[in-house]
Amino acid sequence: MNENMIETHAIRVRPGACCRMLVVAMAFSVAACAGKGKSSATDVEAQAFEDLRSEIREVIDDPARAAEAIALVNALPDELSALRRDVADRKRRARQLNADYDASRADFEALAEQFNRERRAGRQRVLDEHREFLALVTPEEWAEISKAHTKAMKATIKSMQAI
Amino acid sequence: MLIALFTILFLSASSTGLLDYIAESRDNVKAVMVKDDRRDAALDTLKAMKKITKGRNKDVKRVSKELRKAFAGADTSDEQLEVIWNGYFVAVNQYDHEIVDLRFELKEQLTREEWEAVFPGS
Repeated sequence: MNENMIETHAIRVRPGACCRMLVVAMAFSVAACAGKGKSSATDVEAQAFEDLRSEIREVIDDPARAAEAIALVNALPDELSALRRDVADRKRRARQLNADYDASRADFEALAEQFNRERRAGRQRVLDEHREFLALVTPEEWAEISKAHTKAMKATIKSMQAI
Repeated sequence: MLIALFTILFLSASSTGLLDYIAESRDNVKAVMVKDDRRDAALDTLKAMKKITKGRNKDVKRVSKELRKAFAGADTSDEQLEVIWNGYFVAVNQYDHEIVDLRFELKEQLTREEWEAVFPGS
């Protein structure tokens, strides 16, 4: 019975179908790898932030100050995600405008000005966060926390620099 | 990592150029335009775009380095960071202005159909 089924399957396979099945299988395997890679990058970033929190707990002896510093750090992953989304959106808008053959110089100047406004808006928030962090830690603690470079942190820095 | 994070958030990303990607369109132009003087002129324009983009990328690296150093100092003031940022901002504006000039130069070298094939809307 089983042998018949195999034979039946073999007969039903049309010429070229094997190749198509192979291509589909390869596509699934590539998609699975891509999915795995994406998830790994997210995991590495989460690990990098966890390493940073651990470093803060280790360096700052005072638990109350350490908790405040960690609370500041906790807001940063969301800011990083928002920056990635903003940059993707800026690129999409620039490509869309450039594709328009009839777009005027004024259109480009308006877009550049809009981008500048968006950049300025985020800048003050970073200055405030930096100042808040410095107010919480001693210069020695700041130097220690700044020096921390785990494997996950290094990978995350590289990925941030590519934004 | 905290320093790198503050730097990248402060700069609002490294790839801040308005039309950087156009400079990478050489292959599209070669595929769409026939080989003649007009195509050579378009490729020269793209070369000029690549050159100024390269210069801009160097500026970004230099400013990032200055900012990392500034953020690392426990006594760095907001004013010091502002000075670095303002210098960078002037360079970004200058770059945007030049790349838009070149974009319009390129537009003069391509027909509407060629443009739409080289730079599809979506």
